[in-house]
Formats: sequence, C-alpha cells, structure tokens
Amino acid sequence: MIDVGRLCVKTAGRDAGLKCVVVDIADSKLVLIDGETRRRKCNIAHLEPLNQVLDIKKGASHDDVRKELEKLGLKARDTKPKEKKERPVSQKRAKAAEVKGKAQAEKSAGEKAKAAPVKKEAKKESKAKKA
Amino acid sequence: MTAPKDKSTSLRKMKVRVAGGRTATHYKRKAPKAAKCGNCGAVLHGIPRARPYKMRTMAKSRKTVERPFGGNLCSRCMRAAIVEKARQ
Repeated sequence: MIDVGRLCVKTAGRDAGLKCVVVDIADSKLVLIDGETRRRKCNIAHLEPLNQVLDIKKGASHDDVRKELEKLGLKARDTKPKEKKERPVSQKRAKAAEVKGKAQAEKSAGEKAKAAPVKKEAKKESKAKKA
Repeated sequence: MTAPKDKSTSLRKMKVRVAGGRTATHYKRKAPKAAKCGNCGAVLHGIPRARPYKMRTMAKSRKTVERPFGGNLCSRCMRAAIVEKARQ
C-alpha cells in the first residue's frame, strides 16, 4: 500500500491531519514524506494511505511535489527560513545607551584636555635642559 | 488558633518548618483536577495542574500539546478520529 507517490494523511504529531506524499522509501518502516507536512522521514505506522497515487519519481524535489499537489488543489508547505528583521530596541535601553555614550565622551574629552598641557610642559622642560 | 477562614476543607494543609524552628501549618488552595481526554477520559499528558491565575502567566506552549486537538483529546483518540475521517 505504501509506495512512491502515494498520497497519505499523517496521523501522529504536530503535522497530524495533513496530507503528504511518499517521496522515498528508506526501509520496511521508514519513508520520506513531503507535501502539506514538513519534508521529513516518517514511520509508516504514522501514515494513513489514501487511494490516490501522484506521478512523481523516487526522491522527487520539493518543487516537483508542489506542482503535483497543486493539481489536486493542495498547497505544499514551504519551510524557508524567515528573513531576519531588525529588532526594535526598547526606548528605555536606547536612552540608557545614549546617556552612557555621552558620559564616556565627556570623560575621554576631559582626559585629553588634562593630558595635553602636561605634554607641552614636558617638551618645554626637555628643550630647556638641552639648551 | 486557626482563623475561621482557614477552617475550610477546600484548603490544603501544609506542615512547614519555619525559620524559628517551629512547625507551622500553612493553608493553600488545592490544585485543580488533571485535564482529561474529551472522548475516553484518560488523563492528558503535558497539561499542567495549576490554578487559573498561574495558567494565565504561563506561555501557550506550556499549557497545550502541539498537535491537532492537543489539550482536548488524547493522542489515541485524535489518531482514531483522523483515520476515520481519512477513510470516509
């Protein structure tokens, strides 16, 4: 009953109740399925075969399965990873970062102002010594 | 002495060793009964036994099972229902 192209209903797990097609047969128990479910290996005990067989080759790609399912009016599940979106920074955190940045800038500016005259004085002293 | 409000049998009594070394009785609300399958009455796995105020603070994924009819039917009854529908 379980053969390549067989339309099935998954009866276990989070994909239960969704239709899928057998794409490949691994051994006497495991098959590769694809369709409304995720493309994954599946125990045949978790499949309920239906009386339709789709025209796909062994190991058919997700696109081939999608085309065949569209003929039956079924929509294959796409498992593309989501595009990364920029996370909104919380206002509180943004404000804290701004305050911290300002404080650091002031601190570094103050240090430079202090450091600069000391250098000049040191140069003057060294020149005087040489003379 | 026990306060009149704590005499209720709907409260659970807990013996607690308090910081001073004495044993005190604390009164707590009883946990609700475990969730059961709507079809066969079997106890459902993965559904916490917590009072509504705690259930409200929990995430959805902590309160249900990620499956059609999860949290309402047990896996056997769900599977039977799906197989029956598929064979029609």
